[in-house]
Amino acid sequence: MPARPAHALACALLLLAASAAAGPAIDDPALRTRVTELENGLQLLTLEDRTTPVVSFQMWVKVGSKDESRFTGLAHLFEHMMFKGSAHIAPEEHARLVQARGGVVNAYTTNDYTVYFANVPAEALPLVIDLEAERVAHLDISEQTLESERQVVLEERRLRSEDRPNGRAREALFSLAFRAHPYRWPVIGWRSDVAAATVEACREFFRTFYAPDNIVIAIVGDFDAADAIARVTRAFGSLEPAGSIPRNPQVEPEQAGERRETVHFDLQGPVWNAAWHAPAVGHPDADALDVAAQILSGGRSSRLYESLVRGAEQALSAHAFLYEFQSAGLFMAAASVRPDASVERVEELVFAEIDRLRDSLASEAELDKARRQIEVALVGSPVTNSDLAGRIAFDTITFGRIRPLSEVLDALRAVTAADVQRVARTYLVPERRSVVQVVPPPREGDSG
Amino acid sequence: MRRIAAALLGLAAAVACAGHRSAPAPEAEGRAWIPAWELPPPPPRDAPVVAGGAVQRLDLDNGLRIILLEDHRLPRISLALHVRRGEASVPPELAGLAAFTGSLMERGAGARDAQALAWAVEELGASLAVYSDWDAMGVGISGLARDRDRLLELLADVALRPRFEAAEAERLRGETLAWLARAADDPATLAGWWTARALYPGHRYGEPQGGVPASVARLDADRARSLHRRFFVPGNAVVSASGDFDPEELLARLGELFGAWSGGDPPPPGPPPPAPAPAARKVLIVDRPELEQSRIALAHDGIERSYPERIEVSLLNSVLGGSGFSSRLTRRVRSEAGLTYGVGSHFDQRRSPGPFVVSTFTRVPETRRVIDLLLAELERIAAEPPDAQELRDAQTLAAGHFALGLETSDAVVATLVELDVYDLPEDSIDTYRARVRAVTTEDTARVARALVHPQRAAIVLVGPADALRPQVQDLGPVEVVDPLAPRP
Repeated sequence: MPARPAHALACALLLLAASAAAGPAIDDPALRTRVTELENGLQLLTLEDRTTPVVSFQMWVKVGSKDESRFTGLAHLFEHMMFKGSAHIAPEEHARLVQARGGVVNAYTTNDYTVYFANVPAEALPLVIDLEAERVAHLDISEQTLESERQVVLEERRLRSEDRPNGRAREALFSLAFRAHPYRWPVIGWRSDVAAATVEACREFFRTFYAPDNIVIAIVGDFDAADAIARVTRAFGSLEPAGSIPRNPQVEPEQAGERRETVHFDLQGPVWNAAWHAPAVGHPDADALDVAAQILSGGRSSRLYESLVRGAEQALSAHAFLYEFQSAGLFMAAASVRPDASVERVEELVFAEIDRLRDSLASEAELDKARRQIEVALVGSPVTNSDLAGRIAFDTITFGRIRPLSEVLDALRAVTAADVQRVARTYLVPERRSVVQVVPPPREGDSG
Repeated sequence: MRRIAAALLGLAAAVACAGHRSAPAPEAEGRAWIPAWELPPPPPRDAPVVAGGAVQRLDLDNGLRIILLEDHRLPRISLALHVRRGEASVPPELAGLAAFTGSLMERGAGARDAQALAWAVEELGASLAVYSDWDAMGVGISGLARDRDRLLELLADVALRPRFEAAEAERLRGETLAWLARAADDPATLAGWWTARALYPGHRYGEPQGGVPASVARLDADRARSLHRRFFVPGNAVVSASGDFDPEELLARLGELFGAWSGGDPPPPGPPPPAPAPAARKVLIVDRPELEQSRIALAHDGIERSYPERIEVSLLNSVLGGSGFSSRLTRRVRSEAGLTYGVGSHFDQRRSPGPFVVSTFTRVPETRRVIDLLLAELERIAAEPPDAQELRDAQTLAAGHFALGLETSDAVVATLVELDVYDLPEDSIDTYRARVRAVTTEDTARVARALVHPQRAAIVLVGPADALRPQVQDLGPVEVVDPLAPRP
């Protein structure tokens, strides 16, 4: 059983939160975050907000599918195994105990990180902290629990990917757009790998990546930060830091020419997807690409809606968005093709709108609208403790600090029509794109 | 060892200085501290989710109800107008008319046609949606607080003055038919459609909320206009607002925009479905030959939203299959057997009794094994109803979920509107946790015996009929249908 010896007891090292003042108009609660780094490198973010008697706890581990080597899907399969028992907690007991105190608990895995979260009544926070530390210190992976959970994950894979046209499209698109980088395989992994992953591989994965200096914990809500810091320090402080975490070295080579793939699936409405290589998260061009995506598909007044959905009546929906990974990015376009329409025509119409972004400047009114839509999404949506915890943890992992909302908004407001055109000309070019369509198989008697 | 002890002492001091509520655990059994899972749970704080007096309600002279909740944390506002009627008030041959009417309301209102309306909303960065369900329809708009008056005018236009242009109706009908064809690509959607049909043939509940191709083909602008005229009357409506606003100013604006609104009585809510539904066990296979995974639904009639023992039922269902990882169904089918990724049970509560549905999915060859496990758990919930520990855990979970579900003022107001739609007591959210804790194991045993009937549940499967039929032939009469077959 993996366990970390308890000789590196922590003294909490308190750092002050990002103290940059919020802009005059916005009271950004995230700026009240208190950042604590334990001696073993674990970063703890605490943010008190007493509005409602609940707390969100999130543990972000800096490991995702991009860190897998022998078995794809291991990061996700391992995430499941974190609920299958530890030295002092029986399989499934972790979730049951949290629920029995009135909370919800779950986890998710992405290409870049794995997040364990619990949203609980305020009085259940100590339990959540202790349980989280218990499994990080004393996880117990057995042949039996791995075997049953492997079957669960294979069902999840059938549900999300194999029996779902959009899942087929996404899986094909990523492995087409990325040739070298580990983003090319799906987070849930290839079926053969999930079927073959071993207990020893899980244990090795755990030893390598679940170290305190690879973990960020965020706690937001109705709790006492000093109490929580003391408790996290006591529970996690004895874990041994890894020092350095091995990462896969692949860098995606420049794409020099369009790539295409067709997937056959028995369906009524074809799916069309395209992706252009774009910068990784944190790049200054991201704001202009976001605005470009908004101009393309932000609501019923957007260009793709007017062209594909309302005008030509070829698609039921069409979306463009920037997908930012930690070490690469994709600008994506996706359309749900009407059963009575042509997938080729949909592609033609989407590409015509991409060309238009490159060839002409957006009007000021269109630009204002797009920027305003993004701004309202940032400051005008109800915010839960869980939303805030996710934001401060993500920012800390990605940028090494919490970005004030005012800074995010300033960058957005600075985007000009010329910027949008420039990023379209830089990134949204045929040489950098990959195209996938999921269509019904040819009927018997059809040629080709 | 000396170093550890010293460090722990230091920590204890730090905790004490911080004015802690929970003292560090004493040394016991040679351990430095006792983890929280070994200690008795702290008493629930049950802090109110809404401060007393924060919610304002009043009725205008024309009968329009108003519910307001101020929340100044963010410079935003959510506004909505709901009416207390929905798809259940539409005859089966026009299934989908409420949804169709709502979508058409989004496509042109007041002085603006569809595109002008979309632009007017989106240039504010706002979101507008008209939604419909079985028992209600609602127009909602949200955006920045500084745009309050423009948002209110847009809300009033869409709710009171939709244009119902014939060309837009035609376009929408085409889109809706295409959506229905596409929706059939989704096995879960197919399972829902055919489960409804298996339970309630001939009744409005037997057709999907959004209709079927035959009913949607009958929808047009005139029918939508007529539904709007009957449903959207002030005595049948409630306006709600949450967010950053001055209530006096908002009330004054609401009076100007909605005070002169008039109309007659709303239509009846629609007849209840026949019971029992179904009368006897039947098996329906929706043939999707290419699927690797079968969808499985077991269903029969359930309870209405105002059922007197609805809290007892929800606690029972939580133990059975409503609480994810903690439920008996998840433990049996997912955690122990590894046969699925998700399994759950649900009493769909509407104005009239809606279905009770147990649903899951598994690899095709294991379908029968999963059905047997589901049937066994349904038998067991009546034979071995929740024990004291199971009930206590379900009660804590319900009370905790309740607070988590009301974290934002939008969620609080949505809950208050929902209570209004179903004529449930205004103070339900104040009394909910006490009512949950008052439930006994006798109560949950009683509702289990009264409401769970595996022996006559319909079994609906979506997947390859060739592989499924041999597995279920002995369970009851089997019917195989084409997913897109026209309904009788």
